[in-house]
Amino acid sequence: MAETKRDVPRVIPEHFNPPVASEVVEVDGHPYLQTNEGMFTFYKRTKGEFSAYFLGLRDEAKIYGIKCPQCGTVRVPPFALMCPDCDFAQMESVEMPDRGVMNSTPPITYFAHSLFQSWVPFGRGRVVLDGADTALPIHVYTTQGVLTPFIFEKGTPVKVVFRDERQGKPTDIFAVPMAELAPEQQAKSPLLESDLDFSEPPEPVLGEATDEDRAAFARAVEMLKELSAGVDASPRARHNLAGWRRLIEVKTAAGGLVLKIDDGSLEVAEGRRTEPADFVMLCAEPQLLVDWMTFKEALTNAIITGRLWISINREFTTIFKLDRLPRSVHRDMQARG
Amino acid sequence: MRRVGIVGAGITPCKSHWMERTYYGLSQMAVKACLEDAATSVKDVDAVVYGIYNDIFELAAIPEHPLHGIIGMTNKPGMRVTNGGATGAYAMLAAYTFIASGLYDTVLALGVERATDCFDFESMTETPEVIKTIGWSADTFFERELGWTASDSYAEVVLAYMDDHPGDLKPEVSARIAEILCQQAKNNAFAQRRDEVVTAEMAMSSRYVVYPFKLLEMCVYSEGAGAVLFASEDKAKAIARNAGLPVVWVTGLGASNEHHVAGPDYKTHKYMGRIWSDHIASHKAYEMAGVKDPLEEIQVVELHDAFIKQLQITMGEMGFVPIGKTDALIEEEIMTPGGKLLVNPSGGLTFGGHFVGGSNMFSCWSARRELIQRQLERGLVHGTGSTVAQYGVAMVLERSE
Ligand SMILES: [Zn+2]
Repeated sequence: MAETKRDVPRVIPEHFNPPVASEVVEVDGHPYLQTNEGMFTFYKRTKGEFSAYFLGLRDEAKIYGIKCPQCGTVRVPPFALMCPDCDFAQMESVEMPDRGVMNSTPPITYFAHSLFQSWVPFGRGRVVLDGADTALPIHVYTTQGVLTPFIFEKGTPVKVVFRDERQGKPTDIFAVPMAELAPEQQAKSPLLESDLDFSEPPEPVLGEATDEDRAAFARAVEMLKELSAGVDASPRARHNLAGWRRLIEVKTAAGGLVLKIDDGSLEVAEGRRTEPADFVMLCAEPQLLVDWMTFKEALTNAIITGRLWISINREFTTIFKLDRLPRSVHRDMQARG
Repeated sequence: MRRVGIVGAGITPCKSHWMERTYYGLSQMAVKACLEDAATSVKDVDAVVYGIYNDIFELAAIPEHPLHGIIGMTNKPGMRVTNGGATGAYAMLAAYTFIASGLYDTVLALGVERATDCFDFESMTETPEVIKTIGWSADTFFERELGWTASDSYAEVVLAYMDDHPGDLKPEVSARIAEILCQQAKNNAFAQRRDEVVTAEMAMSSRYVVYPFKLLEMCVYSEGAGAVLFASEDKAKAIARNAGLPVVWVTGLGASNEHHVAGPDYKTHKYMGRIWSDHIASHKAYEMAGVKDPLEEIQVVELHDAFIKQLQITMGEMGFVPIGKTDALIEEEIMTPGGKLLVNPSGGLTFGGHFVGGSNMFSCWSARRELIQRQLERGLVHGTGSTVAQYGVAMVLERSE
């Protein structure tokens, strides 16, 4: 019998399921009927010949590849049983090391669709494990704050890390730069996610402030206070921050401030925090904050280009919310006239 | 093999969303336009090949079956082709072979696609759901669950190319190409972004969607349909005479699908820093057409520009500029206005439109139009698709009076 308890994770999360509804949309004076629909099929899908690989990840925290006895090619993951280059010679399972190098610079996803939003930002890279001929598709992360396009490149040495809770999926493992690990972490196999510390990464160094920086900082503080008042008066902006609570320490070359998001409100205070912040936002040039509030630059884009650093990767989601505020406030102000 | 020519082509306007038409209606529009262009009747068409990429977009398995009767093909053969982004090009390849083999004399290639019926009820926008739908195209055992998307997949190829050629694909070059394509779309009444103005400066400063792709340097999602009518030599000459238009002959055709798994050697796996599918497909087509130096012998290219940096690499793979020096497209004024080569005069998929199953018909429609209107001798149509630019198709066209 199907599980009916509400707190069990669902194949399709319940909130994805829209209500049965239809509506009439008018285009050039003609009415057109549209209805809410879905295309869904449920499966009990076998992993078949790949089962040993996924069970190896889940139960043994080991990575298995497959080797052709004729040409010697080692394929990881073991995506084929027989070697197509040797008239379909039967291949043999081989255990692989948990280290290797990046096949090429990986793309990084910052804006994911609904199924992958909880992962962002994530890198979808390919690692050539030592002794392998093909590259293993794998998530890549950094332990040192937010993931940017400039951390991994072709040939970067990496270590495969196993999640503590594993389900027999490609996401049971991810790779981090070997250079970020202590020697004992580098040597440990399997290295577990809980063996890593993501909480207090080293902060990038802020340079000396220029006069322009100081002026920009003063302007940014002023504008943030206006933004804070604007959020209070903007239903859209309050909605952007609804149900969200974060204390953010903002650091720039010309000074710091604290942003407090509290379920629909944004408070600004100059100086340093008194209670522990959830994460640090660091931008050498305070001008970035001005650019953000004057629609010249998105904070999310500033992370991608390296102009803005945050200490906790998953807090990109908070930055995404902040990004929406100036426009929301502006739109509601326009609506009010 | 028998000689095969193109004698008609028609497309619908490209729109981000067609509220007024289903894919049935769009298909009828494109077929009607194509047959009017050829001044012939559907009664004289022997067979049809459908290009429809993704069942989920159409909310239908066997999405072509309800089209067959309504485009007037009852009791005639019809076959659907689906090959990712290269669906349309492969459908035209199939139409070509139907005739070259001697099996049929006149064959219609009809490409059609929906996209933005897909809707994300969380953000109350279409785009995330369109991306999610395409996401089912990735390897479902090892890659889909990692959050594979079409754009990150092409970004992967471009980033790997940049690993090998750090001096190429300069931001200002891609931005300038965006500006040129935008200007060229003004000459295409069916282009989705015909009224948009994108300057190189705007493209340069547009935000990243996935590094190194910027918002104004990538293709759009469209809905629409395109049809191309192919005919055997005698038939083609008769139809063309009647329509008062020259036949555009298909003199070269090549296709290649790479491995989907990355490895060091393109002969056995995917070498990530190249698009060998485009290289092999185009060179096979050149060999068949007797083209020795594409830059000297081809005047118009309609290539599948999913992303502008990929356009550059594809132009390198197809031999118009050296691999590693594709910035020459702009720096040596090869594709700038008045340059040696007309590249994507339709505005391409970036500014013209990209209804996946029929995008390559859209490109073919444009290349043929340019050959006829500008009295050019030779053109090239290209399609790319699947994960990591795995699929490539190239078709050489030649006009004769
Ligand atoms: Zn072998």
